[in-house]
Amino acid sequence: MSGVKALTYEQFLLANGLTVVLHHDGTSPVAAVMVMYHAGSRNEVPGRTGLAHLFEHLMFKGSEHVPDGEHFRLLQEIGAVVNGSTSEDRTNYYEVVPSNYLELALSLESDRMGFLPGAVDQAKLDNQRDVVKNERRQNYDNVPYGTAYETIAREVFGPGHPYSWPVIGSMEDLSAASLEDVKAFFRKYYAPNNACIAVAGDFERNQVMDWIGKYFGPLPRGSSLAKSALFPAELPEERHLVSEENVQLPRLFLTWPGPPRGTRDDALLDVLTTILSSGKNSRLYRPLVFEKKIAQGVTAYTEGKEIAGTVTIDVSAKPDGDLGEIEECLHDVIERVFTDGVTDREIEAAFNGKEAQHTGRLTTALGIASGLATSFTLSGDAENFNRDIERFRGITPDEVLSAGRRVFSSHHVTLNIVPRGKSSLASPATTRNSAHTGTPAPHTAAGTP
Amino acid sequence: MTARSDPPVPLDRTKRPAALPLPRVILPPVEKGELSSGLPVRLVEQHRNAQVVISIVLQSGASMDPRGKSGTASLTAALLDAGTGSRDALEISESVEFIGASLNFNAGADATFGTLLTLSRHLGRGIALFADALSNPSFPLQEFERLRSQRLTSLVALKDRAASVASRAFMRVIYGEEHPYGKDPSGTEESVGGLSRDDICGFYGDHYIPANATLIVVGDTTMAEILPILEAELGDWRGGPGRAAAAVSPPPAAPASVYLIDRPDAPQSEIRIGSPALARNSADYFPATVMNRVLGGQFSSRINMNLREKRGLTYGARSSFAFMKQAGPFIVSGGFTGAKTGEAAGQLLLEIDAMHREGVTDEELEFSRKGLIGGFALSFETPYQMAGALQSLILYGLPDDYYERYIPNLASVTSADVMRVARSMLDGRGMALLVVADANGTREGLESLGRGDVVMLDTSGSPMRVSV
Repeated sequence: MSGVKALTYEQFLLANGLTVVLHHDGTSPVAAVMVMYHAGSRNEVPGRTGLAHLFEHLMFKGSEHVPDGEHFRLLQEIGAVVNGSTSEDRTNYYEVVPSNYLELALSLESDRMGFLPGAVDQAKLDNQRDVVKNERRQNYDNVPYGTAYETIAREVFGPGHPYSWPVIGSMEDLSAASLEDVKAFFRKYYAPNNACIAVAGDFERNQVMDWIGKYFGPLPRGSSLAKSALFPAELPEERHLVSEENVQLPRLFLTWPGPPRGTRDDALLDVLTTILSSGKNSRLYRPLVFEKKIAQGVTAYTEGKEIAGTVTIDVSAKPDGDLGEIEECLHDVIERVFTDGVTDREIEAAFNGKEAQHTGRLTTALGIASGLATSFTLSGDAENFNRDIERFRGITPDEVLSAGRRVFSSHHVTLNIVPRGKSSLASPATTRNSAHTGTPAPHTAAGTP
Repeated sequence: MTARSDPPVPLDRTKRPAALPLPRVILPPVEKGELSSGLPVRLVEQHRNAQVVISIVLQSGASMDPRGKSGTASLTAALLDAGTGSRDALEISESVEFIGASLNFNAGADATFGTLLTLSRHLGRGIALFADALSNPSFPLQEFERLRSQRLTSLVALKDRAASVASRAFMRVIYGEEHPYGKDPSGTEESVGGLSRDDICGFYGDHYIPANATLIVVGDTTMAEILPILEAELGDWRGGPGRAAAAVSPPPAAPASVYLIDRPDAPQSEIRIGSPALARNSADYFPATVMNRVLGGQFSSRINMNLREKRGLTYGARSSFAFMKQAGPFIVSGGFTGAKTGEAAGQLLLEIDAMHREGVTDEELEFSRKGLIGGFALSFETPYQMAGALQSLILYGLPDDYYERYIPNLASVTSADVMRVARSMLDGRGMALLVVADANGTREGLESLGRGDVVMLDTSGSPMRVSV
């Protein structure tokens, strides 16, 4: 049924605990290096939010043998693609280089893995703190609905949950971060035994293994970190919020606690949310956008992260649209899904979409390196990258509905964002629970697979 | 699993490893074919993954929108898959979803593009849907009204985005309202509100003809496999009467002044500086690209290093040439700390001026050329990238051997070439400066730049009558 080839790769472990994954493909003269550290914003503590991401910025400001500015200069001189990113669960750094420069990329990554603290000073910290504050303004504060996800995460995960604060951090916490905080974060999390390096593309295998041994082998192992336990969100009650903002269109977000990544439930909810909102003929798009024309757009998705997840339905209304009416319609649709069921054809379509998406990730050296490193880092096994598509095989309509009921029967967060002075467009605080009809749901803790 | 031990000789980490010889970028051949209608087909095989991109380039875009009807080309493209002689909008959407494909039609200023991405095992079904939408659209009135209403709502929502407001208004300011590049391809609330279904049918009849189009195929297929499928699905397509006329453009306006769009309480200021510059087929493409990489075309550029890494005023600042069919704009852009808007604008102008007067150093020249040559090797990895490269050849009339000659052309750019382009293209005195910011607290800083009075604009870029 599927045309996706399983990816072949080699995995080995250095004496210092660094995991190395190699995938060879000589069709383009390109090599991608992906270094992933198993540390993200969930490793922060309240009062120092944003530290993991601020730290990511400092990783580009030079290390003991690479002066400030050199890292970018050396890589841009050869036309490389260079970047890094921070999520709740991990931080990554990558280079896509013309394949003859692979050794340079490896040497640069090894220097910042082993030799950063000696090169960080107060001036660099102050400068990158200002840059990150501008990143926050650019991507969150000066953007319509830009702080919605921050609000939802805070509400759905609740105080003290490691996913309850935003990756970018707060302005106050960014101001409070000290040089010692930064160095302590490095010592704790940026050790070879807490990292994975994936290399994909055009290279000579033995040579790459020699280079990795030469540059990364001597770096000392750090202290061992405890494995994180699952930490599902659980809402004790419905949360209903209305926020008046500088926006033109009212917008409604409904978020439920959901399963963590990589689980069967995560796949089942991926299928269900695809059936709900993907394409004009989908269950939610068709009535809301196509027929009643009360919404400008709708999207439903599951977001499984390492220790917990969420399921969200996000609807943009037409100008001056009534979010209460939209919410009613939306709950009617979900109820009907549970009474009438989903079809085999809808499930097959969702599978075909996943297969195309997975094939898309296999199109670039960077996509492959990223997929292998992410699977290893977040699940402990790079092979889960190949298994990802398998989770979507053999899914039955009943399974999809059961997974849906497990999520939609729990309490959820309702966030209304309305234009200033138009709180009357918000949905009413009394909330229906759409999964209460049909077959009663077994009431398990939300998010547990 | 292999454990590696330390190397015998201590490693000198201050020494950079030497590069291996540069890999040769071997461009796969572009095969040429033709359907019986005369529609040209260009194919590049890429067999790494079981997927295929089919793309049509139509040499008509929003520049061909009739006067007062901006948004026509773009809405016409958006309506192609909203109903055909044999399928309604829901059926098309469901069929595309079912095979996990993506099908998308859109119009830019210079051209209209239609692109199908499908797994090769669904190739036949994907092409049938692509061809039906392209050659047999029925433009149902109900769908026209639905999509027009959605477009109007998008245009309203766009006012919330400072960066979009700045970019749209800036094109209007530097090209003027009468120039095709002065209007956004998606149209305005006024122009889209005035469109009728007849406008869409008229545009389709005038511009959607095989003689105005080229079909591009990239991916896991061969000419022998694909041509009969394309012939079966598109061979009969002849299109409408085809009264496409060349776009007539007045000279761009390019007024040198300072414009401010007020965005109360904005924490950040979006700045745009620039003027109309170069067409894609200009002989100055290579020197301008080499120069721009030094000025603001990469992270380690002068502009980003100064505004971000030295001053911490921004998350990122850049400059670019948008090479188009006619002279596209040169634009410096970024979002900057609101309280330091004047300083940021002043520094950007200084960087432009320094390049204009002094050009690049030999070291910068080498750094830039080398980086562009290395980047070229990374440009053909995916079917989308390859299809994009072919689209450029077709759209801008570049020679067939363009990519074979790309590296030699870059390598031969001299600092004198860069200086000549910097002299002619980067005169800051002739550039417009536009800012979307909280006027309260930024206006004074902009006035102190010594570029004359600040002209207040509304969110669409029209001058406002304000009492000071």
